Amino acid sequence: MTNGRRMVRLTIDGTSLEVPEGTLLVEAAKSIGVHIPVYCYHPKMDPAGLCRICLVEIEKMPKLQIACNTQVAEGMVVHTASSRVAEGRRGVLEFLLLNHPLDCPICDKGGECDLQDFTLTYGPGASRLTEPKLHKPKAVDLGPTIVLDEERCILCRRCTRFDNEITHERRLIVVERGHRSLIGTADGKPYTSYFSGNTTEICPVGALTSKAYRFRSRPWDLSHADSVCTQCSVGCNYRIDSRFGRIMRTYTRENPAVDDGWICDRGRYTFNYLYEPSRLRQPLIAVDGELKAATFDEAIALTAEKLGRAAQARRVGIIGGGRLSDEEAFALQLLARDVLGSDNIDYRASAQKYASPPRYEARLADIDDASLILIFGAVTPEQAPIADLRIRRAVARRHARLLFVGPFVPPAFVPSRHVPYAPGEIAPLMRALADVVHHGREEQGEGFVAEIAQALAQAEKIIAIHNGRDPQAVEALDALLDRLAQYDHPVGVLVVGAAGNARGAEAAGCVPNLGPGYAPLGRTGMTTARMLDAAARGEIDALFIAGANPALTFPDGALVRRALERVEFLAVSEQVMTETAAYADVVFAAASFAEKSGHVTNLEGRQQPFHQAVEPPVQVATDAQILAALAHALGKPWVISAEPAVLFSQLEKMQRPARTRSSRDPLPRPCVDDPVPVPDPASWPDGLTVIPIPHLYAGGGAAAHDPGLAPMRPQPFAVFHPQDAQQRGVADGTRVRLRGPGGEIEVQARTGDHVPPGSVLVLADMPEAPVNKLTNASGYGVACVDAATVTASQELSA
Amino acid sequence: MAPFEPVLTRGLGRLDLTDLSVYEAQGGFGALRKALRDMTPEAVVNEVSASNLRGRGGAGFPTGRKWSFLPNDGRPRYLVCNCDEAEPGTFKDHMLLEQTPFQIIEGLVISAYAIRAERAFMYIRGEFLEGYRIFRRALETARERGYVGPRIAGSDFSLDIVVHRGAGAYICGEETAMLESIEGKRGEPRLKPPFPANAGLYGMPTVVNNVETLCCVPHIVERGAQWFSSIGPPKCPGPKIISVSGHVRKPGNYEVPMGIPAGQLIEEYAGGLEPGRRLKAIQPGGGSSAAIFEEDLDTGLDFDSLAAKGTMLGSGGFVVMDDRTCLVRAALTLVRFFEHESCGQCTPCREGGQWVARMVGRLEAGEGSNADLAILRTLNRTLTGTNLCPLGDSIMPFLSSVLRRFPEEFETHVTQAGCPLAAEQAVAAGAGA
Repeated sequence: MTNGRRMVRLTIDGTSLEVPEGTLLVEAAKSIGVHIPVYCYHPKMDPAGLCRICLVEIEKMPKLQIACNTQVAEGMVVHTASSRVAEGRRGVLEFLLLNHPLDCPICDKGGECDLQDFTLTYGPGASRLTEPKLHKPKAVDLGPTIVLDEERCILCRRCTRFDNEITHERRLIVVERGHRSLIGTADGKPYTSYFSGNTTEICPVGALTSKAYRFRSRPWDLSHADSVCTQCSVGCNYRIDSRFGRIMRTYTRENPAVDDGWICDRGRYTFNYLYEPSRLRQPLIAVDGELKAATFDEAIALTAEKLGRAAQARRVGIIGGGRLSDEEAFALQLLARDVLGSDNIDYRASAQKYASPPRYEARLADIDDASLILIFGAVTPEQAPIADLRIRRAVARRHARLLFVGPFVPPAFVPSRHVPYAPGEIAPLMRALADVVHHGREEQGEGFVAEIAQALAQAEKIIAIHNGRDPQAVEALDALLDRLAQYDHPVGVLVVGAAGNARGAEAAGCVPNLGPGYAPLGRTGMTTARMLDAAARGEIDALFIAGANPALTFPDGALVRRALERVEFLAVSEQVMTETAAYADVVFAAASFAEKSGHVTNLEGRQQPFHQAVEPPVQVATDAQILAALAHALGKPWVISAEPAVLFSQLEKMQRPARTRSSRDPLPRPCVDDPVPVPDPASWPDGLTVIPIPHLYAGGGAAAHDPGLAPMRPQPFAVFHPQDAQQRGVADGTRVRLRGPGGEIEVQARTGDHVPPGSVLVLADMPEAPVNKLTNASGYGVACVDAATVTASQELSA
Repeated sequence: MAPFEPVLTRGLGRLDLTDLSVYEAQGGFGALRKALRDMTPEAVVNEVSASNLRGRGGAGFPTGRKWSFLPNDGRPRYLVCNCDEAEPGTFKDHMLLEQTPFQIIEGLVISAYAIRAERAFMYIRGEFLEGYRIFRRALETARERGYVGPRIAGSDFSLDIVVHRGAGAYICGEETAMLESIEGKRGEPRLKPPFPANAGLYGMPTVVNNVETLCCVPHIVERGAQWFSSIGPPKCPGPKIISVSGHVRKPGNYEVPMGIPAGQLIEEYAGGLEPGRRLKAIQPGGGSSAAIFEEDLDTGLDFDSLAAKGTMLGSGGFVVMDDRTCLVRAALTLVRFFEHESCGQCTPCREGGQWVARMVGRLEAGEGSNADLAILRTLNRTLTGTNLCPLGDSIMPFLSSVLRRFPEEFETHVTQAGCPLAAEQAVAAGAGA
């Protein structure tokens, strides 16, 4: 017995083996190195039995059987290489090749195509077809990311099944019938899934090709580097494939514990910004208010001088780390503490306060067998898409309950329950829940409390997911989970990071009161908000910002803009020109993740190595090199190494205690600012509460400049409740100006029932319309519709 | 042995059995009362099992056994009546639907009672519009009289029957494609296992029975398993409706005892061939079945005898072809049908079907080659028995059987670049003029 499953003994090609009952023949054969060809079968999806290439001979069965849907049985004798099997496979390949275009020389899949490979191994050498091949549509534009060649398609339906069984979006279908069958979308509209790129990988032939990679390379010409995606905090493993030092594509690199073999389109397609003119290719120094090209040494010398002088006056601050590697985040806090002698270091450039839970840390795989998934704050389909696939599977396949608590109904592709709660009311809710759970009075709560409390009490395993923004709610959640854990409910928490390596930066000591490995310092420097406030008041002379774009992401936009304008000296390290870098006196051209090696830590605290795939442009340096050069110029060259391996060995030692502690020992908490209340909509004429919402393709920097993402990138928009829209004369599709106490932005208006009346959802992190012009430090804001500016979109375009 | 009396078609053509009072006057719904009042569901299952009733839809699976496969796990169970009759040459269910709908309803209710189904589904082929209207009317009447609905005939058993119309796909007659269709999905066969008995309609234990099968059930309940199994061969007994079409003088539906020799059916029921004509080929079980020939006329029409001849009784579509028939053309009609109706899920049926249709089309047009014939002679090895459902396995049997029996007819199509029979008939027509 293994895992409680009975073992079954069978024979495959003369080899006797024992596998757990229920194992499919194709997998049993794989376990002893016997290869059975498959097209439609995919280990992550239900067997479909369509392609028939996996035919095998089973003794005592008159017909050939498909290995993909036949479970092992005691005493079964299987032949996978008999002449009958060979004939069957040859027959299937002959059928598949009949009308296949054989345009292998120009097919992206050529060289890694299962139809090529199996034909070579098992197929007929020549075609017996004497008539012209049948034709089907070629180069079909399936959507913003995918081109479909219907002639190459062997109708294995992996793509439609992926869209059904894995994403649960049910957009891709087979249209028409028989040999006229085609792949299409259910509604005839473009295929726009966040996961579309995966279909090009699971397509066993060259039918689905990605626009980003089409006709770009031959697979045998590609160099491979194992990397980790840093576009969000999930940390999916992927491979970067490059040719002649240029990235051609990214490819899944299955890690069952993290990505389960999938990556999202944001992660897959964000790399072409590196080759755009907007990529920073050399350092810049502001001369007479204009940024001009400079040498690396000039930029270092000027920055070291300014930082050094400000540090002597204790008027220096450092912001960033969430988009650096663990090693570089560690080096950044070394620069602050050990070179400049300041604890004014904070990675938090957005409304996120925590990147880890104090206790009950969950793993992503804990979602798989959760019976209740409780989400507040985070919008997982947008902010952690691959984790959202796990949630969808747990709900659709294992009947987990999905509970959203928050002001608006987030998008969901599986059944879920939304519990409406206004911003700022989540903490009291958690406290009330803890109270009724503690006293076993689940039925007696008020409002939704009873409902949620009963769901919690009934759940066998609870996973809570949030965005770490509301310290009081996080604290109350911790107390609630502690109660539940006492009653033997397995519980766990995942915190979705606002930046890809938020948790790595937190764990590397990029917070004012904690050193690397969450080591309490007994003293505290300034948080980002306090640094910005001090800079705005002229009390900080020099700011260094590395891999962060607070001008766009920091919730109090008015403050950040005042601070960046006022501060005497600002140095920014970035890959592309950002809203923050536009204020800088010195801009360092920094290497991307593909251009360096190191580690990143994902939202579950898993530290994963990534390897350099390509060389950066000659005048571009890694952040580690920049930080080491600054330390050198400031007279302390021994403090910061430019070598990731050296930095990692130092960091690793300091992180060990936190890693090896008991899961019930709370992690020390990063210090936070005093809470700022959510603005009262009544405080503003005709005011609506502004709720920023995330979007997979939003963001400044790389996302704003990548041509591969451009077709998917939304225009800035705001969603009104239909009633509010009507009262203000706002129709779907019109352009409106939202005006708040701190500024105004222009967006396209939409309406939706998922918006609570009295609120407006505004797309966050869009440089064209920064929502932080409307929000305060609470992360929420207030705004009215500037009636004079309501114009029909047709008029604008005309 | 007593002469055979029609059972399922008794009164048809003389009486209006779509009138409930007429049906009742003939003893209709007596079996339903008997089953619900005097028998437990297990007793009904046992009686049907003992009768050796085998499914009339084509596969000939023992009905009682099918019913007994349902797991006893408390999940709701469903009964589906397959009235998607679309097999080329078969038109018996169409007749039963239009002329004796109450017999179907009675069979449905008793069978649902036997398997403890809480809901039954009547899947009617889309083209049977008149039959659908007749059945709907009959169902309304039966409901008004308490034969369908809550507490049927005063018993504790309740059943609702949902009528679902097909949309014109042959494949929806395959039981799992039918379940998909009822669920509102694309009509395509499911991969088995799991079988419908375990995970059928909406994932629940489900039995799918053919119209004629269900029509046998009331008679078994009323007259007993022993009576039923005494008709025809003991292993596949009972009355059977054969749809006779083609080159006979009296084509039509004939209810005969299972196992009647093919020759006897043609001569005694269908009026024989037209004078001066000679039998060339017979499809005994619809378009999917391999042909039998002159020398096979003493073969009994039942599941086992025909299987022994390498063909099948199928759904009982008996198509007679005399010596005027061009078998290449006959085969083309059929392979084109299967090519058109292939759902396209699995490779051999989808790709092989269109290839065969193109080759046979070429042969029939006089543009074929010996290479085509050589390929056609090999394709039953890779095209038959390798598919997910029986449709793909139906493409080759007739073609292979006539190609084997009349190779010269196919070869002549190549050497004479056309149909020799057409030339003969042209000459004959010219002579007559």
